Amino acid sequence: MSAMALFAREVRLAWAGGGGPAGPAAFNLAALALAPLAIGPDAETLAAAGPGIITFAALLATLQPAERIFGEDVADGTLELYALSGVGLALASLMKALAFTLAVFWPLPALAFLGGLAYGLEPVPALVLSAGLLLAAPGLALVAAFAGALAAGLKRAGLLIALIAAPLQVPLLVFAAGAGRAAMDGTPTVLPNLMMAAAFTLAALVLAPLGAAAALRARLE
Amino acid sequence: MRGRRRFGVWTQGQNRPNSAAMSLPFPASSDRATVRASSVTLSRGGRTLVRDLNFEANPGDALVITGPNGAGKTTLLRAIAGFIRPDGGDIHFDPATTTRIAFLGHADGLKPGETVRVALSFWSRLQGADGAAVEPVMRRMAVAHLENRACGTLSAGQRRRTAIARLALSNACIWILDEPTAPLDAKSRARLADLVAGFRASGGLVIATTHAELDWPDQTQLDLTEAATAARVSA
Repeated sequence: MSAMALFAREVRLAWAGGGGPAGPAAFNLAALALAPLAIGPDAETLAAAGPGIITFAALLATLQPAERIFGEDVADGTLELYALSGVGLALASLMKALAFTLAVFWPLPALAFLGGLAYGLEPVPALVLSAGLLLAAPGLALVAAFAGALAAGLKRAGLLIALIAAPLQVPLLVFAAGAGRAAMDGTPTVLPNLMMAAAFTLAALVLAPLGAAAALRARLE
Repeated sequence: MRGRRRFGVWTQGQNRPNSAAMSLPFPASSDRATVRASSVTLSRGGRTLVRDLNFEANPGDALVITGPNGAGKTTLLRAIAGFIRPDGGDIHFDPATTTRIAFLGHADGLKPGETVRVALSFWSRLQGADGAAVEPVMRRMAVAHLENRACGTLSAGQRRRTAIARLALSNACIWILDEPTAPLDAKSRARLADLVAGFRASGGLVIATTHAELDWPDQTQLDLTEAATAARVSA
């Protein structure tokens, strides 16, 4: 009950605060629009690079708002209140990260599908890429939340978050993009890639809240 | 023993504050807690602030911690709340497992985009309550007329009153308050005193730091000036 109340509040705050899903979506779109300018107009090259670029753009988009997942709670005193609320910091971190995923990162799979089509992928590979990102997005958000917890309240936290989170997000990047590439090439590794993306998201679901809670506890001292 | 003090044990039969606050969601008589600090030593940034501090506070008490800036008042409060581990000694709650603490720090814990009612309803629901107490608590702290205002648009005093209303909805048996009256006017200070009196009458324990006179009935003062001096001398 308490955890669900916290989840509902965090969805509302994440949706309303800092532009909600607009910021990461705009960041994602900008990255997708700019990359072809550097790669060149060759359709075959764009299609080959598409899954990787689209997934990488989504990864960057999850880092963009990560600073405010916990930074605002540290600044306005909410962190202390959550710590004493009886919910526990680990569960509160999980609820916050999931709420953030739902409220802020929901456009990413849709953008992956549209981006896939724009980069010249057939509809089915674009759909598989979108499914890969759907499975990877919660994991990407959880890792970003963990990094956000480590850097909460620090100056230039955004840079620190990128340095901490990006290496940990690599497996999700590899498997989500790998699923789209496999579907494009017709190789039978679509399902294993999707399952690996889901597996890493599940691992993040367990480990990231514990890490975030430990970081936040240290931050309270 | 130099630098070692024992503070604030209530004597039975002292005048307890009387208030009509019983309709508010204060803890049931079974939810009462005692705090004991034994030989607590605290430091901050490599500097010892408090050494060998002892005190005991019981249900119904108001322990008011005073001292100059940098004496360690906030550090002690945060140690009592469990955010900071003492360098030495022990802070013990009885009962240890069921003690619920409500905390009011320097920041009010309010979100700028949330309205007063939504914020208070959330904190009430977080404790599993149905929200029926929100209305009387808002009236009690004179924030009912602000219920649809976003917390970000409130004055410092109004935000503080809203944060104090949150305490009353917390269903905790210990309130830990860091400079609770700092932005409050005289009327609001009286409202806080009334709320605290009702909470204490129901068996709640209040531990607060202050630079101002709180004038709560039968408050026990814990002056950190000597503890801080002792820590500096021993260091």
